[in-house]
Amino acid sequence: MINIQNVSMKFNLGIEKDFSFKQAFVDFFSGKKKKKNEDFWALKNVSFSVGKGEVVGLIGSNGAGKSTLLKVVSGVMKPTKGKVTVNGAISPMIELGAGFDGNLTARENIYLNGAILGYSKKFLDSKFDEIVEFSELRDFLEVPVKNFSSGMTAKLAFSIATIVEPEILIVDEILSVGDIKFQEKSKKKMMDMIKGGTTVLYVSHSLESIKDLCTKVVWLEHGKVIKIGDPKKICDEYYKEQMK
Amino acid sequence: MIKVKNIFNNFKRYWFLMTQLISRDFKVKYKRSVLGVVWSLLYPILMMAVMAVVFSQMFKFKVEGINYLVYLMTGIIMFNYFSEASNAAMTSVVDNFSLINKVYIPKYIFPIAKCLFVGINFVLTLIPWLGVIALSYVGLGEYVCHFNIYYLLLPYIFFCMLLFTVGIGLLLSCISVFLRDMFYIYGIIITIWNYLTPVFYSVEILPESLQKIMQFNPLYQFFTATRSIVLSAQRPSFTTLIVLGAIGVGTFLIGGIIFRKKQDKFIYYV
Repeated sequence: MINIQNVSMKFNLGIEKDFSFKQAFVDFFSGKKKKKNEDFWALKNVSFSVGKGEVVGLIGSNGAGKSTLLKVVSGVMKPTKGKVTVNGAISPMIELGAGFDGNLTARENIYLNGAILGYSKKFLDSKFDEIVEFSELRDFLEVPVKNFSSGMTAKLAFSIATIVEPEILIVDEILSVGDIKFQEKSKKKMMDMIKGGTTVLYVSHSLESIKDLCTKVVWLEHGKVIKIGDPKKICDEYYKEQMK
Repeated sequence: MIKVKNIFNNFKRYWFLMTQLISRDFKVKYKRSVLGVVWSLLYPILMMAVMAVVFSQMFKFKVEGINYLVYLMTGIIMFNYFSEASNAAMTSVVDNFSLINKVYIPKYIFPIAKCLFVGINFVLTLIPWLGVIALSYVGLGEYVCHFNIYYLLLPYIFFCMLLFTVGIGLLLSCISVFLRDMFYIYGIIITIWNYLTPVFYSVEILPESLQKIMQFNPLYQFFTATRSIVLSAQRPSFTTLIVLGAIGVGTFLIGGIIFRKKQDKFIYYV
């Protein structure tokens, strides 16, 4: 389903620094040569493949390149080198609620956010009630989202994002959404999707849930793949390494 | 050919998102204003009234033989469309960076949606515009502007201007990703462009040499074609119509191709 071949991703840390005329002026007179842009490789030669129905967990410390890898797979970024092939419809849950407009009501946002995730109008019309039901926000449909609590916003976003039955699901640490009741509900929904044969790429720092859900684990560190294999074994090794 | 087909399919797939973005802009624009959409109708009339008083009473501007009010209003609504749409398109990509960084969406959607949104507003302003033209029959502004068959050409002219604006919008939104100073630079450019385009004056008051240069101002071409239909019931020549089409399609293609080439780099400049 997903084939990642020698993917490298380069960020140019130099261009992130704002160019300013003041700086250019100062550099010019102090005769300093322009510093060479520092290249930063967020991913280095990452290769692995994900088969149909596999649930692959990504682990690694902060800045290891997990989120970058998800973005490359979902098409937000193009890899500097290498190739990613994806067969099937992707539903990205990289960040919930991206694209909500606070001025619009919950009803309007369901359509806007659905459109951003690539759903059609017909699909949204038919699933509208289901989304509202799952989010438990029926009484707040006509309220602008800016007046929602963060928990309510997250619930709405989760309900919209998971309404499809995608072939490939990309999840970045979102299982802890809303109150306890909703957390259980969302966990169950995720499990149902996973058991329903969806291929999943899952990033989390909770080793428990990785061991629970995944059939394979990829351990990334400094943009490189350290190990790939059995979840339990690799999670234990990773834990030991981190605690050293 | 396959490429073109891909682009077309992609466009079809994201058409619903486009309509959602446009309706979002509408809802947000008129939320909490008492008059709401009436402002779209009222605004150009009030603008015209103010400018008419300033230029015809204070500066004694006059264009011989034609209805100055209609002349002025045509210029105002057309220039307003261009400046508003190109400005909104310019900021649209940068404004939506938080989205672009998280979900895959074809990025050209944002500038095009803005141009269409302002375009719908433009169509609304045509209502008071036609009203003012109709009032010329009962003596508003000295000369009568006759409705005529050539009005059927107006949609074509406006469509060419839309394409031109989308092209400029794509170009500006692309540049402003790499150079945020563009927001300010363009503010200056649009002011200069406003004075270099005969919105409130007639091109005849300019020296001969400037009149020649004016031919290269695309907005002038759009304005002149529209005004010749509305004010003097004359059909623009075929050459003019073809030139307008070429300006529209050409700018659209240039903007589109440059945008397409650069769009994968946007993500590094978030």
